[in-house]
Amino acid sequence: MKSITNTPFKYFVGIQSLEEIASKTDRVVVMNILGNESRKVTPVSHVFSGGNVVAGVQYGRPGVMKTPIGDIPVYSRLAEVVENHEFDTGVIYLPPAAVYYAVAEMCHYNKSLKKIVLVTEKLSTKDQRLIRAIAQINKIDVFGANSLGVADAWNHVRIGGGLGGDRPEELLLKGTVALHSNSGNFSTTITEYLKTQGFGTSTVVSSGKDKIIQFAVAEFLYAAENDPRTKAIVLYIEPGGYYEKQALDWIKEGKIKFSKPIVALVTGRWKSKLTRAVGHAGALAGSNDDAVAKEKWFDKYFRSNAFDPKNPTKVNKKGVRVTSIQHIPLAMKAVYEKNGWSPDFEPMGDLGLKPWFANDMDFKLPEKLKIPVVEALSPYNKEIALINKELGAAYLRQPMRNASGASAMNTKTQLGELHGQPVTVLSKNTYEENIFYSLAKELPTKKELPIFNIILNFLAGVSPKEMKLVKEAEKNGATPNEAIMAPIALLGNHPSYQLSHDYIQAFIRIYSDLSLRKINHTINWKKHASIIDKHFPKNTKNDKKSFDFLQKQFDARKGKSNIKNLTQYILVNKSIKNIDNLLISSLLFELFFSKLVLKKMTRDTLKNLYAYLSILTKVVVLGTVSPSKNNFIKKINNKQKYPEILKTSFTETAFWALFNEQPSPEKLLEFSTLLGITLTNGPGTISAMGAKESVSARNNISTAFVGYLANTGLAHGGNGFEGIQFIINSFAKSGLKDPSKKDKKIDVQQIANQAAKKYIAYKKQMKAEGAAYGRIPGINHPIFKGKKINIDPREDFIYKSFSKKGITNLFWDFYKEFVKALYKNKGSKNIYCVNIDGVIAAISFKLLWGLYASKKVNKHEMQKIGFNLFLFGRTVGIAAEIDDHRNRGLDMDTRTPAPEIIFVV
Amino acid sequence: MQITGMKYGHKILALAEFPTPQILCNDAYSEEIDALIKKRGRLVVKPVFYGGVGKKGKAGLIKIVDNVPDALEARRQLFFAKHKFHGNTVTANGATYEEFIPSDYEIYFNISVSTESRMVSFTLSIDGGIDIEELPPDRIITHSFDPLTGLKTYHIIDALAQLNAPAPIISPLARYLPALWELYNDYGFDVMEINPIRMSKVGKRYVPYACDFKAMLDQDNPHNKRLNLPDDVFKTNLSEFELEVNALRTYQGQSDVAVINPKGTITPFMFGGGANSAATEILSEKTTISTDFGGNPPFEKMYKIAEIVYKYWLKNSNVILVIGGKANNTDIFVTLKAIVDALRDYTMKHGKPDVYVVIGRGGPNLIKGMAYAHDMLNNLKIPHRFFGYDSSMVDVIHYAVEIDDWMKNNRKK
Repeated sequence: MKSITNTPFKYFVGIQSLEEIASKTDRVVVMNILGNESRKVTPVSHVFSGGNVVAGVQYGRPGVMKTPIGDIPVYSRLAEVVENHEFDTGVIYLPPAAVYYAVAEMCHYNKSLKKIVLVTEKLSTKDQRLIRAIAQINKIDVFGANSLGVADAWNHVRIGGGLGGDRPEELLLKGTVALHSNSGNFSTTITEYLKTQGFGTSTVVSSGKDKIIQFAVAEFLYAAENDPRTKAIVLYIEPGGYYEKQALDWIKEGKIKFSKPIVALVTGRWKSKLTRAVGHAGALAGSNDDAVAKEKWFDKYFRSNAFDPKNPTKVNKKGVRVTSIQHIPLAMKAVYEKNGWSPDFEPMGDLGLKPWFANDMDFKLPEKLKIPVVEALSPYNKEIALINKELGAAYLRQPMRNASGASAMNTKTQLGELHGQPVTVLSKNTYEENIFYSLAKELPTKKELPIFNIILNFLAGVSPKEMKLVKEAEKNGATPNEAIMAPIALLGNHPSYQLSHDYIQAFIRIYSDLSLRKINHTINWKKHASIIDKHFPKNTKNDKKSFDFLQKQFDARKGKSNIKNLTQYILVNKSIKNIDNLLISSLLFELFFSKLVLKKMTRDTLKNLYAYLSILTKVVVLGTVSPSKNNFIKKINNKQKYPEILKTSFTETAFWALFNEQPSPEKLLEFSTLLGITLTNGPGTISAMGAKESVSARNNISTAFVGYLANTGLAHGGNGFEGIQFIINSFAKSGLKDPSKKDKKIDVQQIANQAAKKYIAYKKQMKAEGAAYGRIPGINHPIFKGKKINIDPREDFIYKSFSKKGITNLFWDFYKEFVKALYKNKGSKNIYCVNIDGVIAAISFKLLWGLYASKKVNKHEMQKIGFNLFLFGRTVGIAAEIDDHRNRGLDMDTRTPAPEIIFVV
Repeated sequence: MQITGMKYGHKILALAEFPTPQILCNDAYSEEIDALIKKRGRLVVKPVFYGGVGKKGKAGLIKIVDNVPDALEARRQLFFAKHKFHGNTVTANGATYEEFIPSDYEIYFNISVSTESRMVSFTLSIDGGIDIEELPPDRIITHSFDPLTGLKTYHIIDALAQLNAPAPIISPLARYLPALWELYNDYGFDVMEINPIRMSKVGKRYVPYACDFKAMLDQDNPHNKRLNLPDDVFKTNLSEFELEVNALRTYQGQSDVAVINPKGTITPFMFGGGANSAATEILSEKTTISTDFGGNPPFEKMYKIAEIVYKYWLKNSNVILVIGGKANNTDIFVTLKAIVDALRDYTMKHGKPDVYVVIGRGGPNLIKGMAYAHDMLNNLKIPHRFFGYDSSMVDVIHYAVEIDDWMKNNRKK
């Protein structure tokens, strides 16, 4: 290897003074410039340094990197860069395996290369030594790997990684201390700490802490000696390697001239307890380069013990070793005083404990620990003030193709979960409670329910034209989902949705500006007229008339409410386009504002609540089984004439839509249980995927519901009738009068036994004929199987909770007996479980029984009821899914990547 | 990733065609043991340790026997032998029967990277078999060489000449030792040490036999997979927790963890090597783990790490400490969000933990991250105090210790 004669070193060192490490004349090329890290860091460095990056390389992906001071050209090969640009400094951001090759590429193509900064972590030691070898041959100084780069406050230049993060100008204040740090993070933190005693920096080097430190302490001290700007040095050292000993020995031996004071911090004593390396490449137990050994090297050099902050004057001119990062500024001050120097500027801030956020909850901490929150230093205080104004949850945007923040399928319990709650738990709620929960992630209070029901029934009404569309679709042979889809598809971004969106947006902005977090008090809004004017939509049309009932309900609510107060102020002082819409928007804001404050709901969700609830409820009314015979639903669609109907519980409304009768409390409970169970089966179901795919194509909310409806059908949602048919066939000759009562004349066990024998015979015959045989719907499960007696815990949970309430369902009892009979008659190897489809069939048919027995419904209507029961429940879960994907997803994120596509011949 | 002993050592050395004694593992039949004894008249029985464990001979853990019953008894004694090494007590995991190699000379040989020359170097002594530290400097030769051209015969011959090595051993060593460089360079080694190499006569010529093997593999060099060593060799060094976190190791973001005290009551998320050193030192036995999660980990990785951390350590913890300096690249919003989201999900599954959260941090998106964590912890009703980077990191760690002390005295778990 060639040796160099212009420095005291046996190896090549190009840097003669720290001024040269990051200089104004350096022209930089960045490899992997458009990679994740460089994409964020390079533009900041480029701007801070006055435009020192001449080009970048992104293998195979040429283009430009945009920066506020102009574009940086990006080439697909370094060979193309050298044809168009001159540069002397390289920065490498590539993955570890590619770094050595990139260094070789740089050395090969650019003979005027002087410096390389390696940002990449986890380089193999082999590549580190190869890089060292070729850099030496080519006479290049290398910083890193695992370096956060180099920076110079005097030259206003930052090269490589992100020293000072996205605000390097805050960090790099011109001063007289040079820093060499094994830790990237501490190179920033120590620079920050130095300011508290009035010290700025000249050059900061993040050396990395790989096994081979390419630009180590000896070279750094040599260059610091030659730097007229630098008066003193801070060294941050971790265990492993003899770099410091070598430097101190060479100083002592006079091999390198060095006269400036050092403040040194060695950490990592604890690592001596380990038998393997942890963190930065460190020394192992008992080696001679562990933290304790390194401390001794420095103490010997300084001829003093470690710095004692209680006795800060006890340092010598050569410097001192500190034991804690927080002692560095004070020790530096003491060293400066000893040398008769002054700090660079007035101290900035202090290192005392200053909480920026705190909440001790119910902890009764002693005064000493109850440190009050203080205003953060600038500019963070402004950010905190801004964020405090900001309302609502914030999510990271990410691909949501097979992901959901709303629903999940718990693989252990096999239960669908919505916002962390299993459907079995949610099935205890009423329908309206679950609608509220799906979007708010928490249940409404009992006090909130009456007004919420009014809102739901108000929004549920559909026009005769919409009803006609359903009828026409049905005439054309549309399945229930297809029929409902037709009018929903025409909603688009309905003007009423946009209007409510704008009203709620105005409310949010007004509340943000005033930092309001609570609703339950009144406000003199006149005082804030200018803020209201600023945010409230300016309408040319003035709608003076409102729906009396709604206005009365709005006004009649008890208790103080500043949103009610504000709405009333607006009604008096503003032109209103649609008063009913304003009132509903105001009520929604009142009901859901606390969810925004607690960051459970995003602003987007609250702004679109009118749309979500409108579509959800319309699905129910459009799903009415025989609308021309259903007087209840007619009243819902004619609310001006029958306003009192809006007070109905929405569970009842949905019941009426399907069964056209007043439900008993027992039926209502069974009905809401059924709707609860079907809320979700996780994001992987095709119905959920339909909605998610539509969201990812950036459609309106209504179209996302269409996506969901389009992905239900006879195989998904519409297959519930098969179970009912099985029960009908089994009970055909039983003489059953009422499935909700035990009847001595009805021997469920015998009916089950006959049904089992019949099925076994059928199966045997089909097998003998070599034909495929149908399976019994509602029994057995791919997970809950294999034991002697198998139980689907979901079925068991609901059955027991119904039994406790004294609810009887002979169809369900039949199902339970059937699985036993099947086993007894050797039709199965063990006792199958009754699964959730069996539960749905048994409850549905029990609810239908009255209509069926009195022959008020035909088979087609029964099928429609079965299908719509599923749709009513699932639509609620889907609303949560759509909202979640809108909040978290990315455009086109449900697309299948090309490599996963299979071409089938 | 360290390997000690000949159980795997002889297989590794075979890749370089370097002679070794014949090795039998502890499941060998009596007939095989007997045959090996008969080959040389004696047999060496050694305990098998995982990780980097030395000084077995000094501790009396190497037995030389000359009959099968004694060999089996030695195996019994050594199978779970305990050995104190560098302050740690390690337990053996089996034993090996190794062919006894008679020799006239013992050699020490080592290849590693020198942080002084910043090149690869070898260390050679003809006074092998004892600790190299115990030898006077003039009995040891260390030479750095160019990694681009590698270790050559002349390097060995020159070194042996400087050591005044007896003529008969020069040629065999010059022939065999450079092959170890190929092994070192091609299979991802960081350190390789053979001590002793016993020079034994085969016919008229000496042949070097590697009789003990110690090595450290570079975990960042994928070439060590070429050795096809079973995972268990390395796993035994690590706790279940460490293994789970290590499974997430990628070049993007650090995920270095070590268990310090399983009964600790402060569970820290440390960011950066500096914070890792400072916090581990101050927290000492109070900390469950020592960690370094710096390097801008992506959300998914940080979330999974936090999930694992809580699974193992939250139950007994009084304090969750998130500590780091002013980050340069690490997105504070992403990391804090991942940490508190995982805490939220833990709470949903297991109920609210009785913990206090202390955060000391700076960096990009700091306020966004702190505000998010503040809101989330408020919702979860978990007490907390967050400090910006203008508070001393060390004082923040001490504050966490004081909260822990207060909780121990005032809130029984």
